[in-house]
Amino acid sequence: MSTATTGSRAESAAQDPRTPAAAPAGRRRVPWARLPGAALIWLFVAFCAFTFLFILLSSLKSSYNVLNHPFGLPTELKFSNWSRAWHDGGFGPAFVNSALVVVAAAAGTVLLASPAAYVLGRNQNRLSGGVSMYFVLGLGIPMQIIVLPLYSIMAKAHLIDNLAGLIVLYIVVNLPFTVYLLMSFFASLPGELEEAAALDGVGPGMTFWRIMLPLARGGLMTALTLVAIACWNETFLALMFLQTNDNFTLPLALVNFLTQQQFTGEDFGVMFAGVSIAVLPMLALYAWLGRRITEGLTLGAGK
Amino acid sequence: MTSATVGVRRGRAKGSPLARRRRRVFGPFLAPALILYTVLFMVPTGYSFYASFTSWDGFSNPRWKGTLNYDHLTHDPAFKDAFFNTLKLLFGCGIFLFVLSFAFMLMLREMKGRRFIQGFIFLPHIVSGVALAAFWDFLLNHDGMLNKGLHSFGLGPVDWLKPQWQFNAILLAIVWINTGYYVTILMAGVDRIPPYYYEEAKLAGTNSWQRFRHITLPMSWDVVGTAAVLWTIGTVKIFEFILAFSGSQGNLPTTNQWTSAMYVYGETIGGTSPIYDFGRACAGAVVTLVAVVVVVVVLRRVTSRDRLEL
Repeated sequence: MSTATTGSRAESAAQDPRTPAAAPAGRRRVPWARLPGAALIWLFVAFCAFTFLFILLSSLKSSYNVLNHPFGLPTELKFSNWSRAWHDGGFGPAFVNSALVVVAAAAGTVLLASPAAYVLGRNQNRLSGGVSMYFVLGLGIPMQIIVLPLYSIMAKAHLIDNLAGLIVLYIVVNLPFTVYLLMSFFASLPGELEEAAALDGVGPGMTFWRIMLPLARGGLMTALTLVAIACWNETFLALMFLQTNDNFTLPLALVNFLTQQQFTGEDFGVMFAGVSIAVLPMLALYAWLGRRITEGLTLGAGK
Repeated sequence: MTSATVGVRRGRAKGSPLARRRRRVFGPFLAPALILYTVLFMVPTGYSFYASFTSWDGFSNPRWKGTLNYDHLTHDPAFKDAFFNTLKLLFGCGIFLFVLSFAFMLMLREMKGRRFIQGFIFLPHIVSGVALAAFWDFLLNHDGMLNKGLHSFGLGPVDWLKPQWQFNAILLAIVWINTGYYVTILMAGVDRIPPYYYEEAKLAGTNSWQRFRHITLPMSWDVVGTAAVLWTIGTVKIFEFILAFSGSQGNLPTTNQWTSAMYVYGETIGGTSPIYDFGRACAGAVVTLVAVVVVVVVLRRVTSRDRLEL
């Protein structure tokens, strides 16, 4: 198998599909047939790039310029948009709330999920199989079905309009995916080190903590990042469970700002500064960990 | 790896030290996650089924009222809108999205700068739907960017957001947001197909359509199936883009743009004058869940038909 793959790789390098020699008959037709498709893809890429460039550039323009010269570069850099969004638009406190909730929820989720995923991923028996299925079940349950009983529970526990309450909810809703992701990660780790530790008399808790967790570092990082992205952008639960502006997370501050602007006349520069505050950290995270994020999402999906 | 697994399995029956250790931590390691998940996820799911047969405001105790909530749903225009819009997203948007993603994936495989392109088209998937809605609204508004662009070509403003078009604008945006994600998933699946299949097919004198038809499609069929299941589960979550795009002045969007999640929000604490009809909202959520389960089961049946093992 492995030799076959290597062999065919060498071959495929020799006759790369792009080199015209491979298919003399279709040489002329194929590139032309692909042209509209390639153009469509590049158009799509351009639109995505334009979106984010537009948002960032508009955040530095005056409202008049955003509206009347949307495609132009900023004539003067209005950093005051950012400070007005931060102070008057409520994005400052919302940013702090979001950061707090995201860090706590991501850490809490991974802290709870990794030991569970470890025992589920490395024990192959009917009990762990059943419990794994039980967690996977949660992936298919839409949030709207759990949210109303949760509202009642949280109201009784006085955790409505409370960031700690929201953190707990975020941990809960992210558990199924995280357990699932880490389970396949732990299952893929080699067992030799674990066995060696057992023979050396290292306790099972220590084995997990000192050996398996460091080995799974890549998976843990991926899980942390994915939960963080999900929480940073989460709107539905936040909207259900937060009520006062002081507690709003960024998506709520943005919704709030957008609807307020309709009353007071829109300042598009400030609006896009607010959008940028919500978007930039995710862009930075993606620029830093892009491959890991996409791979984590497809790994979680691809089974 | 394989021998280790076998060793562990055989050892477990005898009670090897490793297996015994693992069993000792099985409970304690699992318990926190399992308990939290059960209490705050699975119990609420079950409770929603019960509450859907009651009259409940979310604060006092539910009162039993049989299937009245479900009867009501069948002629509640808001729920019909929400349900059909969710189906529109699921199938209308879904078919378009999958054809586009599959075509992109096939073309990208042979394009230069594939990583770069993939990186860019994935971007909308990781930012907040609210932020994208703000941009999308600015793009399509009467005074918005698209009309400004048209104006410079001497074309009159088009009312892109007139009521009968607005939901289509949402559908288009959802396709845009999700294409990169599904291209990436499909790509990961197709990349697993061993290249020597293509080599042999090429030697046998097949053309690229035949190779697509007889290798790529059957061998990525299970990934397409998984992606379709993910999409099904994902559509019922679509909420914030629509809220931010179509909601106005603290009010919810009009019901002809509601989706399932919007229905639950709108029938309970959403809007300027909340309705607090938790029982009916639960019934709506149960119907949605049942629809999702049915679609997932059908999809699994259809796509597992000629699944191939590599």
